[in-house]
Amino acid sequence: MSGSFDFAFIFYGIMNAAFAIAVSPLFMGIIKKTKALSQGRKGPPVFQQYYNIAKLLKKESVYSGNSSRIMSAAPMLNIAALLTAALFVPLFFIPPQTDLAGNIILFLYLLALAKFFMALSGLDAGSAFGGMGSSREMSLSAVIEPVTIIVFAGLAFVLKTSNIIEMFRQAAFGFGVLSVDAALFPILIALFIVLIAETARVPVDNPETHLELTMIHEAMILEQSGKNLCLMELSHAIKQTLLMAIIINIFAPFGIAMHLGAAAIIAAMAAFLAKGAFLSIAVGIFESSFAKLRLFRLPNYFMIAFFLALLTILFEVFV
Amino acid sequence: MDVWPFYVGLVSLLLAAIFPLFGFGLKERAARSLRNFSVLLAALGCAALVFFASKAIYFNESLFISAYKILPVLEFSFFIDRLSSFFILVISIVAFCVSIYSADYIEHGKHSKRKNMLASVMMLFILSMILVVSSANTFSFLFFWELMSISSFFLVMFEYEKKETGKAGMFYFIMTQLSTVFLIFAFIILYYSAGTFDIVSYGTVPSAAGSFGAMPAGAINPALASLAFISLFLGFGTKAGVVPFHKWLPYAHPASPSNISALMSGVMIKVAIYGLMRFVLFVFAPELWWGVMILIAGIISAILGIIYALKEHDIKRFLAYSSIENVGIILTGFGLSVIFSKYGLSGLATMSLIASLFHTINHAIFKSLLFLTAGSVVHSTETRDIEEMGGLIKKMPYTALFFLIGAVSISALPPFNGFVSELMIFQALFQSGVLESPLMEVLLLASLSIFALMSALAAACFVKAFGITFLAAPRSHEAKNAKEAPRFMLLGPALLSALCIALGIFSFQIFSLLGYSFPIPNMLFTGSVLIITYALAAGAMRFLASDRARIGETWGCGILSQNSKMEYTASGFSEPITTIFSSIYKTQKHVSRNYFDSKKSVFKDGEAGIRLMKFFEEYIYMPIGNAVGKLSYMVSEGLRGDLDIQILLGFSAIIALIIALGWFA
Repeated sequence: MSGSFDFAFIFYGIMNAAFAIAVSPLFMGIIKKTKALSQGRKGPPVFQQYYNIAKLLKKESVYSGNSSRIMSAAPMLNIAALLTAALFVPLFFIPPQTDLAGNIILFLYLLALAKFFMALSGLDAGSAFGGMGSSREMSLSAVIEPVTIIVFAGLAFVLKTSNIIEMFRQAAFGFGVLSVDAALFPILIALFIVLIAETARVPVDNPETHLELTMIHEAMILEQSGKNLCLMELSHAIKQTLLMAIIINIFAPFGIAMHLGAAAIIAAMAAFLAKGAFLSIAVGIFESSFAKLRLFRLPNYFMIAFFLALLTILFEVFV
Repeated sequence: MDVWPFYVGLVSLLLAAIFPLFGFGLKERAARSLRNFSVLLAALGCAALVFFASKAIYFNESLFISAYKILPVLEFSFFIDRLSSFFILVISIVAFCVSIYSADYIEHGKHSKRKNMLASVMMLFILSMILVVSSANTFSFLFFWELMSISSFFLVMFEYEKKETGKAGMFYFIMTQLSTVFLIFAFIILYYSAGTFDIVSYGTVPSAAGSFGAMPAGAINPALASLAFISLFLGFGTKAGVVPFHKWLPYAHPASPSNISALMSGVMIKVAIYGLMRFVLFVFAPELWWGVMILIAGIISAILGIIYALKEHDIKRFLAYSSIENVGIILTGFGLSVIFSKYGLSGLATMSLIASLFHTINHAIFKSLLFLTAGSVVHSTETRDIEEMGGLIKKMPYTALFFLIGAVSISALPPFNGFVSELMIFQALFQSGVLESPLMEVLLLASLSIFALMSALAAACFVKAFGITFLAAPRSHEAKNAKEAPRFMLLGPALLSALCIALGIFSFQIFSLLGYSFPIPNMLFTGSVLIITYALAAGAMRFLASDRARIGETWGCGILSQNSKMEYTASGFSEPITTIFSSIYKTQKHVSRNYFDSKKSVFKDGEAGIRLMKFFEEYIYMPIGNAVGKLSYMVSEGLRGDLDIQILLGFSAIIALIIALGWFA
């Protein structure tokens, strides 16, 4: 086994995952609150997501008579895949150089692993809603995949590494990655579009509705209940935090800790919390200012991100 | 190197091919014991070959065997190096598991004679594949290649009384012979320019066979070498199922028995990959455009294969299209390797080549696994249409688990084996920045985005295949009464599933054992973290959450009688993707209306339909076929009945040949 499997790494792994679990529902709550306020509603409290988790844990699980073991295994696999992926995206502390974690392709495919089993659980109960959700989710994720890969290929092209942790390390000096190369700006927009698509938000999906014509992600987990639903929602929130962390730590890494030290770590956590809250508000405002796009218009929308990312790379290639 | 395991393997396979033939006159009981004995022998032979090949790979040894001389220049001789032994390993691993599976599968047939025939020809087929990849000269290569093609043709025709089998067999036969024609052409060019049939001595690789008038690679005239390469590429590409020569796969695979589909898709198309690699890497000094051509052919096969697979409901045809996709992935890696080595980037070239080889063994394993489990499903539901399956996970839990492992592996999800080989190709494509030529960089980036799309579509495809086949409520009476497969039909897939996991988790360790070090993540670590977090999550849920659970009804908006007709269907599932990629699926709409009156104002009845056009068949295959048909008709019309004219033509052909030989020699 290669790489540094030492105390700093283990500490980083546990802290990072725990921090991701702890803050993810908060960001969800902030987005919900922002949307409610911008629509002129009072909205649920910012901490409502935590209450939801506590409530769901106490509830009984209801399984459909049609469903199989996939139904209860999928939420566990989801959270396991997302927590493993959390090892790949440092939120507040950049661990010493390692090749155990951080590979960008592996990170993306851990997300795909979670998605694969979530889609299977959508089909498991034999409900038309679940099937529709799985079908749409897999279709859209197929279309967004080249975009995501090209975005990261662009970053890898400029930063000469395909490891997220190393990307963060390079970005941590100065004003993020833009001080390395200002031409990376289009990548920011592309990453934002990927974030919106992957976290099932307007204009791609509508997380608020349970109307069969519009929902994608919610339809897939419609048959989940109790602790299984809790795990699904938590892993969805963690996924959002990880993707947000990639944007934050590449474009605005201010305050991120590079060494182990109580003061630096606490400051870095606070900084991440503040930046995450700011990005959540931005996402909330973005969501409120768009209408949901028709399903078959979405590939065009993703193409914007694709061309922005490709533009960056072509700029790097030819200039 | 000890050769005896190799001989033991070959002799056991040969005996396994001969024994069932003695059962023709015997009673069913005796015939059956002969079949079982044959399967056992084949499994033992394959085990010996696995042992032999893994040892040869590990110690990186090579050996030369001259077996039988027919004429001074024509002989059967065998040469085994790391590449050959790798392919022997692939073939024998898959053949081992397929033999185990066949012990029960063959017995499902009705006619005793035919079952013995199936066992016998199957073993001959395995034997011929092993001999192709160990052939040392083009003569024995071609001999065993033809043996492989013809035995597989008989296997495709196993259920010959069915109409579709006849068509499939004919299609397969023509395509496979076409591929041989291209190979013969290339081999003649090679013989002409190097003066020997010896494959090893064409190249610069020093070998035990080097004393046979070896000729370095540079000695082959570049123009002739390119011509030979194109011809070889067409020949091997046809056999491997590269788009646009892929159409035989979706016909031949559904028609043949499932254990044969597993062998054909799992290993036979890999033999063609072997041929391509052997000649491009060891015989020629490849040029840049060869690599570009292989890369582009690979990418196009990969994306079109998976896009066509999405539309399929026939589970075996669907797997056949997915094989086209995977051959595309293998060629992508190989093309990249040629390109990188042309730019002097030997590290990247090695990684791409190993990625391509690793995907070869991975695909062999999970595709045979999927075909075998699909065979069990088809056997117990008596249909190949996944729209009539459903709910099988409850009836066939083990088969479902093995199919799921295969599906997860082929969808390139970590930590399974398919992911590692695709990851290596991704890593290679990510390095496009190191190439000096901007044009190449753009080509690699385009390939990268198509590759990513393909990979995600494959996941969508296998969610559909597993979900519609195994999950939810049964969609037909047969699916409701399906039964789990017998034990040997579970044991074969179980071994393959274990290999899928082991090759994924221990990929890093395997590579370092063989002396390669690549910048790829250690899957053992990721896999352990996944298992630990899964266990932690399960523990936390037991500790924190309520464990009350009850069985309810699927939410159906209050509808009273829910049935399986209300489930999402396979066509419904792939509908969004087919709409997005509608320009690739060419459909033809036809509408015909009948009216009561002549002015067409009162509508009476009519019909409308949408048909999926078979683009390659209708625009490439049929025009060529028709043209050939027309030409031969014209020739035969002109010469009908005139024996003297035909003799004259034959005579002038011989004269022309002699003059031509004198001219070139």
